[in-house]
Amino acid sequence: MPELTYREAVRDALVQAMRQDDDVFIMGEDIAEMGGSMGVTAGLLDEFGPERVRNSPISEMAIAGAAIGAAVQGMRPIAEIMYEDFLTLAAEQIVNQAAKHRYMSGGQVTVPVVFRTQGGAGWSPGAQHAQQLEAWFVHIPGLKVVFASTPEDVRGLLWSAIYDDNPVVFFEHRTLYPIKGDVPQEIEPIPIGRARVHRQGEDVTVIATGRLVHESLRAAEEAESEGISVEVVDPRTLQPLDEETLIASVKKTNRAVVAHEAVTRMGFGAEVAAVLQYQAFDWLDAPIERVGARFSPLPFAPVMENFVVPHAADVLAAIKRTVGKS
Amino acid sequence: MATEVILPRLGQGMESGTIVRWLKSEGEQVEKGEPLFELDTDKVTQEVEAEANGVLLKIAVAEGEVPVGQTVAFIGDKGEAVPEPAGATPPVPPAEAEQPAEPEPAAPPEARATATTNGRIKASPLARRLARERGIDLATLRGTGPEGRIVAEDVERGEVGAPSAPAPGAVPVPAGEVQRLPLTNIRKTIARRLTEAWQIPVFQLQVSAEMTRVNDLVARFRERDPDVRLTVTDVLTKVCARALMRHREVNAEFTEDAILLHPSATIGLAVAAPQGLVVPVIRSAERLSLTEIARVRADLVGRARENKLRAEDLEGGTFTISNLGMFAVQSFTAVLNPPQAAIVAVGATEDRVVPADGGTAVRPMVTLTGTFDHRAVDGAPAAAFLQTVRESLEDPGLAL
Repeated sequence: MPELTYREAVRDALVQAMRQDDDVFIMGEDIAEMGGSMGVTAGLLDEFGPERVRNSPISEMAIAGAAIGAAVQGMRPIAEIMYEDFLTLAAEQIVNQAAKHRYMSGGQVTVPVVFRTQGGAGWSPGAQHAQQLEAWFVHIPGLKVVFASTPEDVRGLLWSAIYDDNPVVFFEHRTLYPIKGDVPQEIEPIPIGRARVHRQGEDVTVIATGRLVHESLRAAEEAESEGISVEVVDPRTLQPLDEETLIASVKKTNRAVVAHEAVTRMGFGAEVAAVLQYQAFDWLDAPIERVGARFSPLPFAPVMENFVVPHAADVLAAIKRTVGKS
Repeated sequence: MATEVILPRLGQGMESGTIVRWLKSEGEQVEKGEPLFELDTDKVTQEVEAEANGVLLKIAVAEGEVPVGQTVAFIGDKGEAVPEPAGATPPVPPAEAEQPAEPEPAAPPEARATATTNGRIKASPLARRLARERGIDLATLRGTGPEGRIVAEDVERGEVGAPSAPAPGAVPVPAGEVQRLPLTNIRKTIARRLTEAWQIPVFQLQVSAEMTRVNDLVARFRERDPDVRLTVTDVLTKVCARALMRHREVNAEFTEDAILLHPSATIGLAVAAPQGLVVPVIRSAERLSLTEIARVRADLVGRARENKLRAEDLEGGTFTISNLGMFAVQSFTAVLNPPQAAIVAVGATEDRVVPADGGTAVRPMVTLTGTFDHRAVDGAPAAAFLQTVRESLEDPGLAL
């Protein structure tokens, strides 16, 4: 089994899809010669040429709009939005156009576009370059939203996103690009809407996304040393949500912590908590805990940034609260 | 197609019942006629039997008050899909306010006891479900979770030491604490009906009867037929039933526009059952032999003590006998059992010095106190009724 970094895994999915399928192309700011600001698309220009690796003007609305137009015409474009903070500039195209055309045309038009983007704190990028805005897009009927946390998942899910006939907002995490992981020899598509149980446990289920999957796995190990058995589940797809897997896990453990790097308040975790309390109400032995960033713009100062966003210790504290050991 | 289990109407006027506990669990095989769940109505707690064979697929209402006719469960083939019962969702208590993500200062451990807010016990949904399923009263548990919340572990622990029957009174209570016994449906009914009865204008009449011949009769009967175990109450039942037929104005019921005189004496016997006072009835007692009365009485009292009376065992009484003689109570007045117009309170049969043949003698005597609804019965007919009862006790041959 080959080992790839998360960055290489994303690139591998792009390269293989472009090799196999002329309809697939990528577009974005500085993705050609520069290889993207995160280096994900490095080398693609050489192999596929400027027609299929298209540098765009600095206009997220233009990138998204052009990609949507191409998708409607039968292409499978992958638009890179350099920072997810900039999704706000493309929101009109994604929310009002991409998400709506299939519905408004009575199914005559499909929009098989992927908006790849990345974000995340941990390297002091300040308030405008590291937000986690997935909650904005899971709220829109007509969009699928993916947030993968491992090299294997990101490759298999990007593949499924490219070949999905609906618009997919595909979140990557800045600090996960260098992590390494085993991936299957051949790309194995991972179905959209399927959660992954990373670790089995008996006492608490931690439902985590993105970077917090890894923080939660660390917290689970620490908890284990204190006699608390923790199950860690990554939904991987935020929309549609694999409620079945989450509910089954919580019915087993009777306690739940929901963890993400995004701001806690009104976050994706609130929806997960609502789903759990409704469908597993009689199985809950403790209030559902939520772990996320404090309600603050991300500070530039590293020590303050560190204070605002959650880490393994925050997950561990939440785990302990659920079992009454705080 | 799964068979719906419907909350049955167990008696006239029953509009709802409270499911106390399920005797089968989801996924368990049930046979038609097997007890399925315990139902607490305002009259009895009764086991409801399954009306179909199959697997208990789903319990739609695990516990609580349910209107008659509502679907409370489904029986069908293993693995069969269960339709969503309309309106069968049990009432969901409001969710506790969500914990802030920031850790709160922990309460000192000694402050942890069962926490209540406005009388509502703090317990996790899981703990509530487990307690419900196992018939454990949350009020008897001590919460060890955050802020004194009762968590599943507390229920598990509580069950180990708890008596098998969920009698709240049997659970040891720390000295000095007020023990709270939540009202059962039966207790509520007793309270409501006796309060109603208290509004009725009543009068009491008291007579004493010599019991020498009744005692002889009972003794002879037991000698001849030891299996039946005839009691003084059985003789009283027969005697009262016959007297009621002679004085039908006492076998009465007062309604808004008429007094109803019943054609037959259905005698209620006040029985101290574990769950409270119940009054099962013996129908057409005037026509039954003493042996028949004794058999019916033994069956009713036995089932009352085991909490197995059915609603029909309690319906249609026209007169009640309340006997506290076994507690050596000399005499007492009973509260009317509406809509019946009369009840008789029976004291202990005891040796008393009585005038006899110009001197005194010691005789076994009993004092009966009748309580009568004056709206339906006047003093004289009531007195005449008691006179007949007294004469029949002193010379039972007259009644038999």
